[in-house]
This record gives sequence, C-alpha cells and structure tokens, in this order.
Amino acid sequence: MVRAVPTWLRIAAWCFVLLTGLLLLAPLVVVVGVSVSESQFIVFPPQGFSLRWYEKALSTPAFLDAFWLSLGLATLVTATATVIGGAAAIGLSRGRQGSQLETFFLSPLVLPSIIFAIGLLMLWSTLFGTTSFYVLWLAHTVIALPYVIRTTLAVLAERDPYVNEAARTMGAGRLQRLLLVTLPQCIPGLAAGAFFAFNISFDEAVLSLFLRNPNLTTLPVQIYGQLEFSPDPTVAAVSTVMIMITLVLMVLLERLMGLNRFASG
Amino acid sequence: MSDLKLTNIVKAFGKTQVLRDINLTIRSGEFVSLLGASGCGKTTLLRIVAGLETVSAGKVEIDGVDVTDLSPEKRDIAMMFQSYALLPHMTVRENVRFPLRMRKQGTREEQYECVNAALEAVQLSHLADRMPRQLSGGQQQRVALARAIVSNPKVLLLDEPLSNLDARLREDMQVELIEIHRRIGLTTLFVTHDQDEALSLSDRVVLMNGGVIEQEAPPREIYETPATAYASSFLGAANLIPATVSDGVARLADGQTIAVPAGSPKGSVTLVLRQENVEIAEGGELTANVVTRVYLGSRNRYILELACQRISVVAPASLTFEPGMEVRLRVGADRVRILPG
Repeated sequence: MVRAVPTWLRIAAWCFVLLTGLLLLAPLVVVVGVSVSESQFIVFPPQGFSLRWYEKALSTPAFLDAFWLSLGLATLVTATATVIGGAAAIGLSRGRQGSQLETFFLSPLVLPSIIFAIGLLMLWSTLFGTTSFYVLWLAHTVIALPYVIRTTLAVLAERDPYVNEAARTMGAGRLQRLLLVTLPQCIPGLAAGAFFAFNISFDEAVLSLFLRNPNLTTLPVQIYGQLEFSPDPTVAAVSTVMIMITLVLMVLLERLMGLNRFASG
Repeated sequence: MSDLKLTNIVKAFGKTQVLRDINLTIRSGEFVSLLGASGCGKTTLLRIVAGLETVSAGKVEIDGVDVTDLSPEKRDIAMMFQSYALLPHMTVRENVRFPLRMRKQGTREEQYECVNAALEAVQLSHLADRMPRQLSGGQQQRVALARAIVSNPKVLLLDEPLSNLDARLREDMQVELIEIHRRIGLTTLFVTHDQDEALSLSDRVVLMNGGVIEQEAPPREIYETPATAYASSFLGAANLIPATVSDGVARLADGQTIAVPAGSPKGSVTLVLRQENVEIAEGGELTANVVTRVYLGSRNRYILELACQRISVVAPASLTFEPGMEVRLRVGADRVRILPG
C-alpha cells in the first residue's frame, strides 16, 4: 500500500522546487534586464528601455575580437573533443579494464581546473615560452573530453550487445562494423557531447584567464576584465548574447536528438 | 544447400568444460534442434558453428570445407538472435539488405528484389520503410527472420528466436518457420529449451545435457522411446520410479507389483511412466494417495503419492478426487518403459 505524502511535505517540496528555479533563473533575468536598461550603471531593476548597450558592444573592437576568438576556439574544441572523446568511448566500451581507464579519462571532471591551469601554464612556458592559441585549444579540449566520453558511453551502454555480433554473421568486417554499425549508434551521444564541449569552451574562464596574453583574450575573460575596471551595461548585453547562443544550440539539439535523454547520462 | 559436420568439438572456458567431444552431422536441408536446459552448452555449440566462439579442440565443416578457423563474416551463415539484434538506425528494408550489401551479392537492383521477396515471405512488405523501434516484438522478429534468409546462407542458425514472444504469437511463428523451411529448405540449426518447439519444428532433435549429446533422434522417436532417464524426464512429464524386476513383474519400494513387457532388463531398474499413460481407474493394478489437485480446465492434474514418491497424473475433469483419497492406477504392461539402473 502506498501511503499518501503528508500535505506539509508536499508544500515543502514545492517551495524547494520554486526556490531552485528562482536561483537558476533570477541571475539570467537580472542580466537581460540590465542589458536593455538606459542607465549608465549596472542597476536593477532596469530604468527605461534601450538597445544602446548592444550597439556599444558591437562597436567595441575588444569585445568583437574576443567574441570571434571564443567562437573559433569553441568550434575547434568541439571538433577535436568530439573526435577524440568518441574514439575513446568506443575503445572504453570494448575494453575489459574499461572502468579504470574510464576513471582516468574522466579525471578532468574532478581535478580542480585552477591546478590544471597552473600546471599547464608552467609546462607550456618552459617548453614553448609565451602562451598561444594552441595552448588554449589544448586546455579546453582536455576539460571538454569527459563530457563527450560520458554521453557517448551512455549511448553505447544502452545498445543491444548482439547487434555487433549479428553484423559479423552478416559478413561485415571490422571497418564496416565501425562505420556502419557502431558510429551511427553513437551519433546521439556524440551530438550531446559536442553541445557540452562547445559550451564548456565558450564559457570557460579559469583556464582562459591563466593562459591569456594581450592578444589572446576570450569573451569570458574580456567580460570579467570589463566588469572589474569599467563596469557598464555593455557586459550585460554581451552576456545576453552568450545566453542566446546557448539557447539556440539547446533548441537545435533538442529538435534533432532529444537532449533530456542524455542529460541524465 | 549444404551440410554441416561437427567433429570432436570440445570447448572449455578456463577450467570449466562446456562441451565435451560433440559429434554431429546435419544433412543438407535438414532442420535440427539443439534441446536442453540452460547451461547444457547448446548456445555455445551454436556460437561455435557461427564462428562467434572458438573451439578448444575439434573441427567444424560446412559443405566439406573446414571453417574452424574462419571468422564469422567469412562463413556464409546467417544467425537469428534471441534479441533479434536489428540495426536500430536502419529501416526494415536496409536491415534486410545488410547481409547482401556486406557480401556484395548482386547489383543494387537485384539486392532490393531479394529484399522484397524476403519481406514478402514473412508478410512484412508494407512495413519496409519503418524503423525497427516502430515495430512490435513479433514484427521485429519477422524482420530478423527475413534478414536471416535473404542471403540464402549455407547454414541458418536460430538462437531461441521465439522465446521473447507471447504464447499466441509463438505458435503462429512456429507455423511460419515450418512453412518457410519447407519452401526454401535451408540447413537449419535451432537452439531451444522448449521441448514443444523442438518436437514440432524439427526433423531431428538433439538433446544435450552437461556438454554432451544425451540422445539424437526424430521427434516422435525421442518422445516415445527416450533412451535415458534424463531424456524421459526432459521430454514430456514422465514419472521416474525405481523398482526391481524379476519373473516378469516389477516390485516397487513399498512392495506393490506391476507386470512388465517380456524381455525387459532384470534387477534394479527405473520405470518411466508418462503422465498421459497412467489412468486413474477402478480395478487398476497400483494404489496411490491423492496429495494435490490442480484444475486445468478440461482436465485435472493430480499429484499422487505412490511408493513413498510423488508422481503426476492427468485425468478428465469429470473425475474428481479429493486430497487424502486412495485411488487405483491402471498402467498396462505395454505402456511402461523400463530403463536399467
């Protein structure tokens, strides 16, 4: 017999849900609100309505440069992380000692990124001198990898293990099985992983901050710098653009694949 | 059309021997069932024929060609899996075409013609453009069957393909398998733990137990004259009763006797009494006590105590006996089978 949930507990649960939603959404509302404010300063609630901060953001070369850098970086990171992560996941799903290797591959998730950032900075400076685009590409790929591996492994774990054997009995060789059987089954996981990889890179601040140089400032670092030294609603406008890009990507992925299947991993 | 020959097959996983010296020949076009309880090695033997499992010793020949060391993709076989193993990202049509495409049999057009014919054989032409997940279990199963027969393989391997279906669908599918086999006559090896399936589908039943072949015979023969106690108990619900035979009568543990056919083994034996061969009737030669009655609709199944042992007997529903009652059993000497030991 199922006992009814007492009313007070139900009310408490709803309050908890509301509070969680509020905490998640309120900052976004503030940012969007400030971005369309007429005021010179970052104040909430916004005063008046204007799109001047968007205009200003679009005419500030520092923001534009940072945006293109971040966009290019995120795109490249998505490509490399998806290829390497997908290959790693296929390998891991096959191997017998999978779980230990898996822990190793997923370790960037647990390792504090500040430690990784310091270590990588010191290593890179010793080997190659000043930081460059390549080190950012490398750093972001490393932290994006676990997401691709996780989502792809989740998809691989769900599949019928006999499909691959069936393909063998039907005459499919190793390469044909990889291209025609395994890879197509991985696609939903790879797509979800690619989405995460893009967002991780586009949004990443700690590594980018440590590895920056005057010619290498990503959008989050630029926003941070602006906020610190000359705060005005431009940062809010830029942040709103970032939110929009993420939203568009989410909708795209949801349309194509059904994101919620993978969020639970 | 090809024959399949297995010679001295041995398979061990570590120290566990799963198959011990299996010898089996399947004639071209024959439908053979591997029957046995789970863990008897029947699926391993099928996987060895497919090439998905290696042998520890022994030889697999298809059409006189030694394929023991050939990988599955080079063996020209088809296998149907318990889970159907359809490619989830391909339509029904592409699933069925897959073996033709991999083996480069014919041109594209010829391949699609074969696909259409195979789908027609399993009555699924109207679902050719669906994805597997849009189909019911029974439909997926028929797609798997079409995919298995489309390439006209030398040997067709079926691994419990009916066990995931509900009872009704399973019976329909049995008929379909019999008809398809009659029409195209592929050499077929069928693994099952269900004795009804084995008896109704095959030309020959191979009963396996503990990694060896217990008995192999046509269905009727193996059912009516099982060679061992294990075969008797596995095929049909037979009661096995220890007894001692002397002077043409068998004496049970409690001293009751029944006549046995002339020429039966002497000394300590096992009586095999099929439940449908034992009748509850006045004037029967044995006395037993009713323990439990199980109502089956048209019949009653009785659990009786005979010579300190439980046996199972079926009687028409018109006859009703209550637990605790004493009943007489009529057996008839010609319906008792006697196995030595």
